[in-house]
Amino acid sequence: MSNQQQVEKFMEMAGKVGAETVKLVDLQSVAGYIASQVSGQTLVPSTFLAEKHGLARLLSSSGVNVFKGDFRGADHVPAAGVTFSNFALADTGTIVLESTAEDIRLATTLPEKHFILVDPATILKDNLAAAAPMNVFHAGNDPVFVAYITGPSRTADIERVLTIGCHGPRELHILLVDGISDDMMEN
Amino acid sequence: MAGDATFKKSIDTAIKNPKLSEALHLFGDAYLVARQNAFHGLDFEEMRREMADIKDEVRINRKELLTEFITNAEKAGSTVFVAQDVQEANDYVINIARKNKARLIVKSKSMVSEEAHLNRALEAAGIRTAETDLGEWIVQLAGQRPSHMVMPAIHMFKEDVAKLFSKQTGKELSPEIKTLVNVAREQLRKEYFDADIGLTGANFLVAETGGIGLVTNEGNARLCATLPRVHIVFAGVHKLVRTIEDAIKITRLLPRNATGQLLTSYITWIRGTVPTDGEKKEQHIILIDGGREKLYESKACRDALRCIQCGACANVCPVYQTVGGHVFGSIYISAIGIILTAFYEGLDKAKELTRACIGCRSCSAVCPSGIDLEEIILHLRNEVTGKYGMGVIKNVAFKAIMKNRSLFHSMVRAASKLQKPIISKVSGGDSPPIIRHLPLHFMAKDFTEWRDLPAVAEKSFRDIFDTIEQHVENPQYTVGFFVGCGADFVYPEVGVALIRVLNRLQVKVVFPKGQNCCGIPALYAGDSETGIDLAKQSVRAFSDAEVDYVLSICPTCTMGVKRDFIKRLSDDPDWSEKAQTLSEKTMDASLFIEKILNGSEKISGLENLITGENVTYHDSCHLKRGNNVWQEPRNLLQSAGFMVTEMKNSDRCCGFGGTYSFLSHPQISKQITTDKVIAIAETGVKTVAMDCPGCMMMLKGAMGKANGSIRCVHTIELLAAAIVKTDK
Repeated sequence: MSNQQQVEKFMEMAGKVGAETVKLVDLQSVAGYIASQVSGQTLVPSTFLAEKHGLARLLSSSGVNVFKGDFRGADHVPAAGVTFSNFALADTGTIVLESTAEDIRLATTLPEKHFILVDPATILKDNLAAAAPMNVFHAGNDPVFVAYITGPSRTADIERVLTIGCHGPRELHILLVDGISDDMMEN
Repeated sequence: MAGDATFKKSIDTAIKNPKLSEALHLFGDAYLVARQNAFHGLDFEEMRREMADIKDEVRINRKELLTEFITNAEKAGSTVFVAQDVQEANDYVINIARKNKARLIVKSKSMVSEEAHLNRALEAAGIRTAETDLGEWIVQLAGQRPSHMVMPAIHMFKEDVAKLFSKQTGKELSPEIKTLVNVAREQLRKEYFDADIGLTGANFLVAETGGIGLVTNEGNARLCATLPRVHIVFAGVHKLVRTIEDAIKITRLLPRNATGQLLTSYITWIRGTVPTDGEKKEQHIILIDGGREKLYESKACRDALRCIQCGACANVCPVYQTVGGHVFGSIYISAIGIILTAFYEGLDKAKELTRACIGCRSCSAVCPSGIDLEEIILHLRNEVTGKYGMGVIKNVAFKAIMKNRSLFHSMVRAASKLQKPIISKVSGGDSPPIIRHLPLHFMAKDFTEWRDLPAVAEKSFRDIFDTIEQHVENPQYTVGFFVGCGADFVYPEVGVALIRVLNRLQVKVVFPKGQNCCGIPALYAGDSETGIDLAKQSVRAFSDAEVDYVLSICPTCTMGVKRDFIKRLSDDPDWSEKAQTLSEKTMDASLFIEKILNGSEKISGLENLITGENVTYHDSCHLKRGNNVWQEPRNLLQSAGFMVTEMKNSDRCCGFGGTYSFLSHPQISKQITTDKVIAIAETGVKTVAMDCPGCMMMLKGAMGKANGSIRCVHTIELLAAAIVKTDK
């Protein structure tokens, strides 16, 4: 499968499980997109790629209410979280996010909406292909927390009726932007 | 037996409340479709073989892998404790809670914590627990236990949930699912922040990394593992896998087989003491044995620990769909639940459950780890019988009568005469007579109120075989016919039909008279001693006859001869070799006709075949899932000019299950049969074909009461009828 086909497959599968997928040209348009979707506290963890691309600054200048301070001091249900990703899996529409830093975990579990940036170059075929980068995450003995995220939070526990937004984000927006980083160890 | 009476009463209660059963049926049907889509393009058989290998390798090297896991987890800062039993595990949690002055523990789903009754132990120690999985929270508020491994509150309806949540919040809530889910979201969000400890289960423990994995949809496990400062992992010791790659393979099977999802919303991989609020988290991993080592050491049952807890064995189980998980299960439910109950709670707790399995093998067919659940349940039923007996009726029937072939067969002959006052002739047909009513009223509810019973044939097949003329000019093969009790004593006409068909295809049939019952009814009742004796009688009879193949028109007998005789006689070298030879020669008649004789090609070449008659086909459990035969009879029917209209869930059990429908659980059978009768009627077709005398008894009987215009026949009878017309 060519990368182009993998990107299409990824978008199709992510869409099937209820994620929004949008192709955007650059970080500036990412900020614009998020600003149009959110009003309220937005958690933007300060990660390597966030710093490199000046994400928080871009968002703020587009009018997003970027939360400053300790994330545990934010609302119990903040409006949004914005993160990068490490890589993605085409066949299930899954995003993989190394989340050892607590701020990443808080920004992806608590908010109503989660916006996640994906570089199309990091889309792998399936979860078997994820074994190699997963092994790299686990090299050495340091504590590590890796999240696979496939669509928004869901439940079917009442009468088996699929209901979106149980405990995690009710919306998952996947923003595909070329050239963010093709290094699967960075987020 | 008091336990028996209580169990039967709980079945009656469940059956009188059809709302749950209806919901489970709807779920079961939707599940089959979703699952099929989820495995599209993948080789399920290959995947489950691989999973079985992964889990077997873990079993063999479990001590080494446990050490490796502990070493790696400790290097990453975790504290690991191996608890011999659930009491030790609970005490350990209470101890951690006390050290941390914990007042509230938020929990994500952990089945082993249900097994340990951990919540009860914590509450007794003054520590409050909040279940956060929506289904678990509902069940906790209701003071109940889960009735399904993946969907704990599947037995409850939105109105019940609204009542519970209204009480919890003090507000009157409407039974609208979205509203109710929102209430859970709001109520529990506060609990995550207030909790001192987050407790999760683990879907896998990766030895190579020392990390754990959580497979969830709601996002509660991530919150439980993130917000509180202390994280406790409460898991069974059998969740070990060697590598990340092996764990990934679990994630490829588990969601697909559990709910038909390609992947759950979240797969969370956690190793060690990850940061929390500016410091390092305190993480404790408690690994519980609680009977697992004993199960690993049981050669007959150990495959059960391959289980990845997808719950599929419940989703497809007709008994579960009829009575639900609170009746058909204990902590763990349905097929796997029977086995785990026997090992984790004791054989006496599993006694009634082992007898409640109807033996349809749908659990074995759907299991993603290749566990032959039905086979293990039979083994346990055998142990139950050894320990508690099987009841007077079965004792006399199997031990005193069936083992003695001539006594058994002369009793059947006598029965044929004795039943004369109660049999009725079916009007307007050449069908064999039936029993519409029994004179004994107390038996009617279970026996004839909802079905006709087949009458014992006036002359058994063994009594008429010698009178059947066989004209075979150039015999291509000589086959031995293993008639089986159903065709011998109830439907000898099916045996006659087989001879007609085989003769027409240039095959000669011999009938060794020393053959007896295949022994499966005795075995299913847990009487292995009679099973061994019966196996020897038939092995001897067929070894003495010189035949190319041995055929049966009963798939249960075929399984018995092909698979079980070898096992039953394995301890005796002389017998086991003969049993092996017989096994290799034995097959289902339609398989033989199609595969060895190339039957559909030959039959379709015959002249004067009637064409266009519509039939529907019922897959017998033991034919499809015991002998892997389902396409062959359809091919043969089509070749003989029949059109096959498929019914809904054609391979769902008809409710017979041998003595199950008469002695063990006739009321469950009745419900399962009703489903099948409806599925057949819905096709609008007036003939249903099948390849099993047991199914014939059940469906002819039920159709007789429900819809007399639908004919139930053996495939071989239809073939014979079509072929006879082509005789010149």
